[in-house]
Amino acid sequence: MDLDALKANLKKDFQEIVSQDELNKLKVKYLGKKGRITELSKNIKNLPSEERPILGKKIGELRSLYEDLLNSVQEKIELHIVNESLEKDRIDVTLPGSFKSQGKLHPLTITTKKITDFFSSKGYLIEDGPEIESDYYNFDALNIPKDHPARDMHDTFYLDNGNLLRTHTSPVQIRSIEKRGAPLKIICPGKVYRSDADKTHTPMFHQVEGLVIDENINFGHLKNEIMTFIDFFFGLDTKVRFRPSYFPFTEPSAEVDIMEKKSKNWLEIMGCGLVHPNVIEMSGLDSKKFSGFAFGMGIERMAKLSYEIDDMRSLFSNDIKFLSQ
Amino acid sequence: MKVLYSNITKAIKAKPKIENLCDDLTLIGIEVDEIKSFQGDKIIDFDLTPNRGDCFSVKGLARDYCAYKDKKFSSATKSSFKGEKKFNKKINLFAKDACSAYSAVSISNLKLIKKFPDHIKKTLKAAGIQSIHPLVDIVNFVMLESGQPMHVFDQDKIEGDIEVRFAKTKEQIKILGEKNLKLTKDCLVIADEKEPIAFAGISGGLNHSVSKKTQNFLIESAFFLPSIIKGKARRYGFQTDASQRFERGVDFNLHEDALKEALSIIREIYQADISNVETIKNKYFPRKKLINISMEDVNLKLGTDLKENTIKSILNRLEIKFMKKNKNNLTFEVPSHRFDLSIKEDLIEEVARIIGYDNLPQIKNNSINQHYEKSDYDFINQIKTFMTNKGFNEVINYSFLDRQVLENLGIENKSIAIKNPLNNSLSVLRTSLLPSLATNLEFNINRGQNFLSIFEMGKSFSNDTHMEEINLAGLIYDDEKFKNWNTNQNYDFYYLKGILENFFAEFRIEKIFWKKSQNDLLHPYASADIYLKNKLIGSVGSINPRFIKSLGLNKAFLYFEIKVESLPLNDLGKLIAPSIYPISQRDFSFEIDNKVSFEQIENCIHISSKNFLISTKIFDVYDGKNISDGKKSIAFRVSWGSSKKTLSEEEINKEANLIISGMQKKLGAILR
Repeated sequence: MDLDALKANLKKDFQEIVSQDELNKLKVKYLGKKGRITELSKNIKNLPSEERPILGKKIGELRSLYEDLLNSVQEKIELHIVNESLEKDRIDVTLPGSFKSQGKLHPLTITTKKITDFFSSKGYLIEDGPEIESDYYNFDALNIPKDHPARDMHDTFYLDNGNLLRTHTSPVQIRSIEKRGAPLKIICPGKVYRSDADKTHTPMFHQVEGLVIDENINFGHLKNEIMTFIDFFFGLDTKVRFRPSYFPFTEPSAEVDIMEKKSKNWLEIMGCGLVHPNVIEMSGLDSKKFSGFAFGMGIERMAKLSYEIDDMRSLFSNDIKFLSQ
Repeated sequence: MKVLYSNITKAIKAKPKIENLCDDLTLIGIEVDEIKSFQGDKIIDFDLTPNRGDCFSVKGLARDYCAYKDKKFSSATKSSFKGEKKFNKKINLFAKDACSAYSAVSISNLKLIKKFPDHIKKTLKAAGIQSIHPLVDIVNFVMLESGQPMHVFDQDKIEGDIEVRFAKTKEQIKILGEKNLKLTKDCLVIADEKEPIAFAGISGGLNHSVSKKTQNFLIESAFFLPSIIKGKARRYGFQTDASQRFERGVDFNLHEDALKEALSIIREIYQADISNVETIKNKYFPRKKLINISMEDVNLKLGTDLKENTIKSILNRLEIKFMKKNKNNLTFEVPSHRFDLSIKEDLIEEVARIIGYDNLPQIKNNSINQHYEKSDYDFINQIKTFMTNKGFNEVINYSFLDRQVLENLGIENKSIAIKNPLNNSLSVLRTSLLPSLATNLEFNINRGQNFLSIFEMGKSFSNDTHMEEINLAGLIYDDEKFKNWNTNQNYDFYYLKGILENFFAEFRIEKIFWKKSQNDLLHPYASADIYLKNKLIGSVGSINPRFIKSLGLNKAFLYFEIKVESLPLNDLGKLIAPSIYPISQRDFSFEIDNKVSFEQIENCIHISSKNFLISTKIFDVYDGKNISDGKKSIAFRVSWGSSKKTLSEEEINKEANLIISGMQKKLGAILR
């Protein structure tokens, strides 16, 4: 058999190979004891001496061709084997993943955090105070003496130990000034209590109170702070109005309304004002040196507006279908 | 306060559209609560702030509106009333400044000569005031118009002269509406020679009130000091049109004019014998207040650059008169109807109010130099986020609940009660979050939930040194028959304990110990108390089955509650570089008495193998087939290592043998 034909056969055989078995058979066919290439090598000694190196070289070429073909086909076969086994691992990727329940924060927590994060980023310190308060901190120190008609605005829960449940977060103002002095910039979220209940009022609700005390704080600073906050919370195109109001602990006092985008109605969102000099004095500072502003808002109202909740009471029903949204 | 739109427009002598009127009033601080149609007119219900007693009348509202719109307003239609006969009672003012001015008039022989005016009836009806007697209706009408409350007595029932004084010990008065009030010495009364005939500024006495049969009338119009009237009616649990006005302050120059106004209306409708208006004042009668303010005061507080003339003219529109100037100090006189103005900040608010808050500048805030520190609030939020990531939904419950609920659970000790609860189910502050979460569970089961995993961070209250403490509580309930196709999570004690272990690891809280629970609320054999060092900080486990029913449930749940304030707020401490040498491990399996706890085994390993020990990890606990009664098989993996070298086979063998012999000697454990 001539060598060229053998070479062509070798290439053709390798092309058709797909499995290790076939590869083994091919090995026998060419390099086995009676293999084609083996036979050729055996023949060398029968040739005249001058022809031997020529054939030897050719056989060498044939062997290295065999090695090359073997290497390339070996890779092909291994890949084929892996692919075949992968088939067996086939899964349905549309089935749901292993169950790990993910809980949700309460909408009021999320709303509070959104508000406090904003003020925190503006350098406010987050403060908290007790929910059981004394008459002094809840009223007297805030310029609401006994028999003041403003006490009517606060339907107070009184406790059998002589204290009360705070009706607003404002007592934290006094406690913080007493503790930290001035200048001071604080934001105080927390639970407050008033004894009324209907569609828009729950006997417990949440407020956030802000207070800034420094020298020469004015109404313009207050307006700026509130406007920046409203831009952040409700968006840049929100219409805002400030109107006079009354809180015994601020003077001047203001109520802030925003215009509801759909209904075009004004909605009250917070109360604010410059801290009343009596309050500054009562908390131990000199009202000639220090002035300040304070603001407070109901978190339920803010949550209601951002989540478009109709009934305030749904925030306290703790229905898991509502909470896990 | 309910006012007819037509009455306001009459008073301001203009007819703005009702929306514009209400908008303008809102912008100067007079809030409109509601607008309702009424007999072809409109009723506007104003929500007045307690400082603005001067706006508690049609004229008061009109006066403020005109000041804002810079329109002329003439406050009083001074009637030049003259009586025919002499007022024949003596009036004694014994209460010093509590009542420093008192006007009275007597009327007899009343005869109707004209139809009683419809607009008076309509005005009263709109304001929600019942029609009682024509004369009473007229004085009430004048009150609504001017703000001055007046009272009509049956003069024949008054014995002798009139005195204004504080109540004597044990004095009582029966007021309109049949209420018998036991008066205290700080209650001001109008009295005749015998007894109190009115609770001054609040309500007339029933025994001296007018009726259809009354022949002779006495009308009172007085000035009562707001601080004397404040809170009195509320103390007895009621309010009247008079008390609401007097406690906020009624113009101290109004009583006589208002009475004359009422008399001129009476004159128009009736033929009557009317006495002169007797007015008595004592030396305590108030003077108009003066307030000093500088331009700098105004501009510094408002961040404005207003001129002196602007401020003077704004205040003048509000009848706040400029008196004199001394260097930088401007002195202003407060009109007799403004009880709310006493310090310069009050005048600054008036300036701001008339300019309009929306027209004041917005000024960028300066940063403030204060000390910052890690707050509890951040820690609480981190905990909440940790819990949601562990699959718990956050709930928020009221802090108060039914006392009975606490009693049923035996946790009512030291509880704080609310003296004036909304109802019995909200009568006491919770001493634990458990009842709240159990209620949430009941609610959700009733709505078809078979699985619940919730947590709350809130306060629990008790009459201790710390009356309130922040707690973290969690509840897991699992009655789900069909689990997710690929998951079979067992919600048991160890599941919840695992979460808490993660929790303590997350917040780097060390020295946590778990002991069999003494908490009666939990299962006595399947729950643990949690200690930080030697302080009890909480409990975890399944609810004690005996409480399931009283909580309104019929299946057990897992629960934990931890006192968060007891936990240290740990920052990340020093980080230790891990050893570069390999760790060696050996697995052991022992048969051991069933009552020996893992804690005992762990301690035994630590005592036995003192060198190189890193950790012990338990991987199997088994007490079934092939294990003798009262025994269990326990398998664990022990790891050793050194930061200085690779441990040799001999070193490990030595440590392993120490463990085997230690386990045998100390705990009677047999290597399997």
